[in-house]
Amino acid sequence: MSLITDHILTWVTFVPLLGSLALLTVVRKDSLARVFALAVALIDFVLSLHLWVHYDDKAGGFQFVEKVAWLWDGKINYHLGMDGISLVLVMLTTFLGPIIILSTWNAVQDRVREFLAFLLFLQTAMLGTFFARDMLLFYVFWEAMLIPMYFIIGIWGGQRRIYAAVKFFIFTMVGSVFMLVGILYLFFQAGSMDLADFMQVPLEHNAQLWLFAAFFLAFAIKVPVFPLHTWLPDAHVEAPTAGSVVLAGVLLKMGTYGMLRFAMPLFPDGVTFFAPTISILAVIGIIYGALVAMVQPDVKKLVAYSSVSHLGFVVLGLFSLTSLGIAGGIFTMLAHGLSTGALFLLVGVIYERRHTREISDFGGLAHQMPVFATFFMIATLASIGLPGMAGFIGEFMILFGTFSSTTLVSAKLMAILAATGVVLGAIYMLWMYQRVFLGKLNNEKNKGLPDLSVREVVVLLPIMVFIFWLGVRPGLILDRVETSIAQVLEPLNATLLHQENAPAHHTLIDMETGRPITSMRQESK
Amino acid sequence: MNDILIPQLGSQVGPLLPYLIVAGGGLLIMLVDAFVRTLKKDHLSYLAMFVLIGAVVVQIIGDQSDTQLLNGMMITSDFTRFFNFLFCGIGVMTIIFATGVYDREGDYRPEFYPLILFTILGMMVLAAANDLMTLFLGLETMSLATYILVGGVRGNIRSSEAGFKYLILGGFSSAFLLMGMALLYGFAGGTGFNAIATALDAGEIDVLLVGLGSALMLVGFGFKVAMVPFHMWTPDVYDGAPAYVTGFMATAIKAAGFAILVRFAILMQPQLAFAWFPVLSVFAVLTMFTGNLVALAQNNIKRMLAWSSIAHAGYLLLGVLAMISPATGGSDMMMRAKEIGISSGAAILFYLVGYSLMNLAAFGLVNILSHNKGEEGEDINRYAGLSRTRPMAAASMAVAMLSLAGIPPFVGFMGKFYLFEAVVRAGLIPLAILGVINSLISVYYYLRVIVVMYMKPAEEDSYHGTEWVSVVTSSVLILLVIYMGVQPQAFYQAAARVFLGITF
Repeated sequence: MSLITDHILTWVTFVPLLGSLALLTVVRKDSLARVFALAVALIDFVLSLHLWVHYDDKAGGFQFVEKVAWLWDGKINYHLGMDGISLVLVMLTTFLGPIIILSTWNAVQDRVREFLAFLLFLQTAMLGTFFARDMLLFYVFWEAMLIPMYFIIGIWGGQRRIYAAVKFFIFTMVGSVFMLVGILYLFFQAGSMDLADFMQVPLEHNAQLWLFAAFFLAFAIKVPVFPLHTWLPDAHVEAPTAGSVVLAGVLLKMGTYGMLRFAMPLFPDGVTFFAPTISILAVIGIIYGALVAMVQPDVKKLVAYSSVSHLGFVVLGLFSLTSLGIAGGIFTMLAHGLSTGALFLLVGVIYERRHTREISDFGGLAHQMPVFATFFMIATLASIGLPGMAGFIGEFMILFGTFSSTTLVSAKLMAILAATGVVLGAIYMLWMYQRVFLGKLNNEKNKGLPDLSVREVVVLLPIMVFIFWLGVRPGLILDRVETSIAQVLEPLNATLLHQENAPAHHTLIDMETGRPITSMRQESK
Repeated sequence: MNDILIPQLGSQVGPLLPYLIVAGGGLLIMLVDAFVRTLKKDHLSYLAMFVLIGAVVVQIIGDQSDTQLLNGMMITSDFTRFFNFLFCGIGVMTIIFATGVYDREGDYRPEFYPLILFTILGMMVLAAANDLMTLFLGLETMSLATYILVGGVRGNIRSSEAGFKYLILGGFSSAFLLMGMALLYGFAGGTGFNAIATALDAGEIDVLLVGLGSALMLVGFGFKVAMVPFHMWTPDVYDGAPAYVTGFMATAIKAAGFAILVRFAILMQPQLAFAWFPVLSVFAVLTMFTGNLVALAQNNIKRMLAWSSIAHAGYLLLGVLAMISPATGGSDMMMRAKEIGISSGAAILFYLVGYSLMNLAAFGLVNILSHNKGEEGEDINRYAGLSRTRPMAAASMAVAMLSLAGIPPFVGFMGKFYLFEAVVRAGLIPLAILGVINSLISVYYYLRVIVVMYMKPAEEDSYHGTEWVSVVTSSVLILLVIYMGVQPQAFYQAAARVFLGITF
């Protein structure tokens, strides 16, 4: 047992890869391959539960650390570690893993083994990205994510899959290579690739601006931040359902995770310099995404654009530079992963039955498929951010954080504009729901559609449970990340204090308690 | 002279043995082919591989010291032994690939085997040259044999054209090289690298003789490594030659060119770094951009790989630039210069190995997957549906392409990482940025091959040959590509040690 628990991060990361190799070599039958892949993903989830149980959120910092020399006599290491922020995102990844595989049971009939192998390979790359504490290791995992996703979109995608796959690959690559130059520069300064050593490098103002720009570009493309979002709708629409769920559920979070983990703590000057601009882009993204979503005739495209809007919220929260906004950003990352993941699964369900996603082809589906309609309603409301569901908490915290931000230019206006995004979100989601599910069942082809099968219910139910659970018990996540947020932001905090000589209520965290809700408390006094 | 030379020879046979084995093996195969009538087709290839492997084995068990041979005409060091190993390894792979297709029409050429041995001999001598004369001998031995390899497919007009082009332009470049050597000789009063180094250290550098001389020699080397603007021959020659010869040229000859370029650059350090640096940086940037941008427009897989190999020469030139970069300064200048020199030199050697592995794998597959009957046989679109008909070949090709594009976790990424790291360490950040922009451009055309293989359905005229030995060989190369991408440390350390072995 200690063999596993001593190297738990390695196991969690590489069990899917082992499964993937087994799928390509040993497992020969398609039906067996599905069961095998599901088993691997479930094992990985169980392993990751060990992390959830044993992570000490009071102590914070990086736990379960593994460090083995890799290159250059220990200047570059195989260095894994996990803090609260990584933890919640890892749990999201391993939780969605089996669900995604189960959802492809009937949808993918062609080259099943390869498809599952790519999915598992992707899971390894994503988990490695969340665990990596060494910049080169991080970069390797980060780039390795591209390969399976590229094949998933390109082989199993829709009509314009090749265009979408290549666009996805090249867009993401554009950002990453500039980040690589930044990493090399810092490596040269720090003499090591370790993130902790990068933190120690004293950087002058201009260098910070350039480096921040290089890192931010890589992450902003992944998020995607307006106006770098154009690859996303193509990728989402062409990707098979499972691909869309991974993309929306986890891959997009890589960008915001990277901002929070690398770009913000490493370059505080860059952050304070660019934060006002970035927040404007984020707000544009929120409203633009919502407006474009509103006019989409295709359900999947609508959900894709809603992602642009939701991720705009996350970026706004992060760059409000308040601990409340950042905690809200992390929470929204999870909530969006669940609600949008569920929406893509549901769209996949109807697409499997009807081979169309046009809103105008539907209407009155609620009569024919009541269970499906109920699940869809829950996911819709979660996406809108109805109180009592996961989406609400995060967006509320982000808006509050932005409103009280002292670093943003006209923060209150930003918060108000972003809030209109919530309203628009309600409009486009409910309008879509109304046109698809309510009214009369007019289209002949929709009569006789079977409701959700047991497998589909099994796929969707866990997500639904967590949507409610997180909605009423947000502490489940927030308790785990608060210490880590404070720790990640320490360098930034110091700079802010130094720069503005700010009064106490402007600091990001309450030094006594380290609680991220400080500014809300003080606003309400 | 003679009385010095002859007693020396006895003690020098050991270090010279690998060279003698390859030379003798080439002659032997020629005789065997001429006189042994009962020969089966494969026998010559076995013999040739045996000779190359034998040379490597003899070298491994032999003397590992750094010595000057033949009165200072040649040196042996870890550096030369490394290149001998690389050349022989590429040679064995090339022989396997060539043998795999020799029953195709017009492709059985018994003279191929001695010729490839002579080419390798020339490269080995070139890498070990410690005198301008040895340098020229090695270079010409290599080139003359290559002209025939390229143009020797009887009845194939494209091949003849390519051979002729290569011959004419190669003759030109040799003339430049010779002129440069003459000028340097005029400056140093001797042809030995030792004499040149002594003359340079003595000060009083004659700008015309040294500057023009080394510039003309740079033209000669630039031709061999396909540096823009001396690259014009590359696409036509790579396209016209049989794919296995192209793979050999794109890897071994490029490596040989860089071996001598690196040695020569170090010889000229630091006096000429300031003169070379601006010229070479312009050439390097031009080389990367020309190679990548033109490769974007290619439909023929061999031409695409030819242009991409030009681009890779550009990346390697960045490494050479880092090595001779004058940007070092401060009180610890010597220390830093040495550190940068070693890291960039090791990066160049590492990249050469990684590049050879992935490029050989790619060309090995192109070799069996294409008709050798004309342009249209090498159209990339012929690979449509390959992932279904030949999954193993397609997967190997896909990894080779991703690795060439510099995507982790393959060796292409690690090679670029080490190279660009050295460039950044030398303070040449703009060049590093231009380098990554180029690898970005290259992603598009490498991905295109994968798109065709994996995402397009097979067409009726898709031709997918069958020859499992080549596929297995390529797959082994690909496993190395992955292994060196995940665990590059040992290889990089070895490269650094090898690079320290450059002595004059």
